[in-house]
Amino acid sequence: MNAQSVIVPDDISRLSNGELRKLENQIARKHSGMFPWEAVVWAFGNLAVWLSLWPLVLFDILPLWAAFPIATVNMALVYLPTHEAQHDIIARPGQKLRWLNELVGHATSWMLVYPFEVMRISHLDHHRHTNDPERDVDITTKAPGPWSAIWRSIQERQPNAKRNHDYAAAMARAGRPGLIVLALAYKLAFIGIISALAWNGYALEALLLWWLPFQIAITYIIFFLSWAPHHPGNEQGRYRNTRSWRSKVGNIGSMGMQFHIVHHLHPYIPLTRTPAAYREMRPVLEARGCRLGGL
Amino acid sequence: MEQALKLIAGALPLIFAFAFLAPVIDQAMQALELVAPFGLSTLTFALIIGGAWGLFAQVTGRWV
Repeated sequence: MNAQSVIVPDDISRLSNGELRKLENQIARKHSGMFPWEAVVWAFGNLAVWLSLWPLVLFDILPLWAAFPIATVNMALVYLPTHEAQHDIIARPGQKLRWLNELVGHATSWMLVYPFEVMRISHLDHHRHTNDPERDVDITTKAPGPWSAIWRSIQERQPNAKRNHDYAAAMARAGRPGLIVLALAYKLAFIGIISALAWNGYALEALLLWWLPFQIAITYIIFFLSWAPHHPGNEQGRYRNTRSWRSKVGNIGSMGMQFHIVHHLHPYIPLTRTPAAYREMRPVLEARGCRLGGL
Repeated sequence: MEQALKLIAGALPLIFAFAFLAPVIDQAMQALELVAPFGLSTLTFALIIGGAWGLFAQVTGRWV
């Protein structure tokens, strides 16, 4: 941890643009640079629990009805460690533990049937073009209300959905069209695995340990990580393209996304540090005219 | 290889329907002790329902 103290002046309104930015960056640096061991334990612990469900269910040690909610929680928990790795928070290129950063990313993203590189490139593209109707890969999560957001996320998983084309366009923009083929290969491998299980008498196991938990988790992830923190998603610009907000299910229930604005401003801050960074940065964000949602 | 993958991906709804959806319907019916209509076996019934749904998804580009 960068333990330097940052003194936020009582009257922040007197600070210039540059001074505000300097203060914001000092706070961000204070809350970054530490090794996010929670994300690493989370990634491999979650993976181990989900993998263990398969033998437990197939050998009749754990009933399928009990394994299904556990698998759903596992699927919902996959994304955040992958997300930390996408932003190189575990280790940046050239650092000693870079291999661990990449391992966390690759070891977890496949559960959500996406290659890690596709997730990384598309997500960084979202950061670059947040709320841009043409280039934000997550623009399809935009919806007027919570129920329509859920319905929209289901619609955007259909074969002809715009979201598929937006992801492909992001890979093309990044000069990595080969990743589109790799993403297809992942999808076919997924269908191949669950189909092989199904035709060998384990259709319900494949359905309730992977396919349905995946669908529920994606709906949950898109709702809390994409729709809610960007809603209504009409504005672009550093301080207006996302917000902080008070979630009805709390910060843990919404996977830490109440403080999403800090993540967009300083994506190198580990997830577990964003609440503390937000509390310290709040006067700066207020001075910048950010949408803070009473948090 | 790339062409083959794209060709298969183009027929993904139908593949998903016959490869996964049909056995899911079949085994769900058996688990719930449901009987297929018209004297059909649960697997035949599942292939008809799953196949029809897959064809719908293949043609319209959406499952729902």
